[in-house]
Amino acid sequence: MSLALILFFGSVAVLLLGLGWALWKPWEQKNIDSDPRWLEGRDQRHTNYLPQIRQALAAADYDFLSKRASRGTQRRVRRERLNVALAYLGALRGDFESLLRMARVIAALSPEVDAAHEFERLRLTAEFAWRYQMIRWKLLTGMTPLVQLAGLSDLVSGLSVRLEQAMKELGERAAVAAELASSMNRRGMGTV
Amino acid sequence: MMWAVNTAAGVALLLLLVVRKNYRVYPAFTFYIFVNVAVAASLFIVYRLWGFSSTVSWRIGWATQAVTVCARAWAVIEICRRFLSRYQGIWALARRVLLACAGLVLLYSGVAVRHQWKLALPTVDRALELAIAAVIVVLFLFARYYGLRPERTDRSLALGLCLYSCFRVLNDTISDRYLYDYAKVWNLLGMLAFFASLVLWTWALRKSQRETAAEEKLLPLGVYQSFAPQINLRLQLLNDQVNKIFSSEVTRH
Repeated sequence: MSLALILFFGSVAVLLLGLGWALWKPWEQKNIDSDPRWLEGRDQRHTNYLPQIRQALAAADYDFLSKRASRGTQRRVRRERLNVALAYLGALRGDFESLLRMARVIAALSPEVDAAHEFERLRLTAEFAWRYQMIRWKLLTGMTPLVQLAGLSDLVSGLSVRLEQAMKELGERAAVAAELASSMNRRGMGTV
Repeated sequence: MMWAVNTAAGVALLLLLVVRKNYRVYPAFTFYIFVNVAVAASLFIVYRLWGFSSTVSWRIGWATQAVTVCARAWAVIEICRRFLSRYQGIWALARRVLLACAGLVLLYSGVAVRHQWKLALPTVDRALELAIAAVIVVLFLFARYYGLRPERTDRSLALGLCLYSCFRVLNDTISDRYLYDYAKVWNLLGMLAFFASLVLWTWALRKSQRETAAEEKLLPLGVYQSFAPQINLRLQLLNDQVNKIFSSEVTRH
């Protein structure tokens, strides 16, 4: 089989995959929401629950349980900790997507967009998706010992203050963004 | 037989465009369909006069193919504009990205082939078709990334153009390898693929379409300039957080 044959058939396969993905159903869900309330509810951050998550992942709790509780209980706790970690990751993803949606609404309504900002956001999105999937996969397959998950709590506490501040600041801007989104909806964006 | 069916389907689509007054909404696409019908009619005469395998027919055949591909490229530009031109900022960015994408694909197509003069025309044709297909796919990806929903008709027209271009790339690639043995099958498959596209377009254009809405009232430029860097910063912060989790997992193993 010649190289040209492989290259062109490969190119068409990639194009068709890209086309299939772009036309895939969840497009409907990824559309800029017709209900701007997603922006108004931005102050309900997942980071509000950080103390509970920290508690759930604390190493001290696990040490205490490993000395006093039965194996079954320990297994259950381990499973629940995993669920907490996964939920936390999911929440981070939710925050990320929420910000992305806001950025897209603003970009769509702007008379001029900066290519550097847009490509930077695309890079961040790809990077986040990759890391998120890697961690999730490792957690689900048990490649990460659960005791080590306690390390998450240190990261969480270290960043929580910064994140809370950042989200609060953005939350104040949510009203403005919600107004933008509803203005966009009035113009028929996101409708067939 | 297939040639007659395709010409009849082309004429029917052209009539539909006129009757529904959709030629006002899609002038470039209407021109493309008109060119196809005109090319089919002129080739019929050419083949009757000089025969299917003569050099004159071959030259005229490829010359008309060049006109057809240019008309298709114009139709694609029109569809791109209809997809995104309401969103001025995104459209300005998309234009640059789509042009760069088309240029890169043309370059790639030039690099990826053996350079033989007898295959020059199929090579150019394939490069243009691949560029057209790539532009449409990137257009769809753009629309998905920004959560924009193009009109259903525009989507169907773009889909038909893209699938037909993809098919032509494959067809040209096979004919590149089996030039003489494949000629008859090449023609038949090409006509079948075009017929499928014609059916899709006819279905999409069965109703009158409204013209693109006038340019939207947009936000002041300052809003984007103030929000975009801040949002990117927040995204970076979230990314850092996940990155640290990831790094800690890696270093602990």
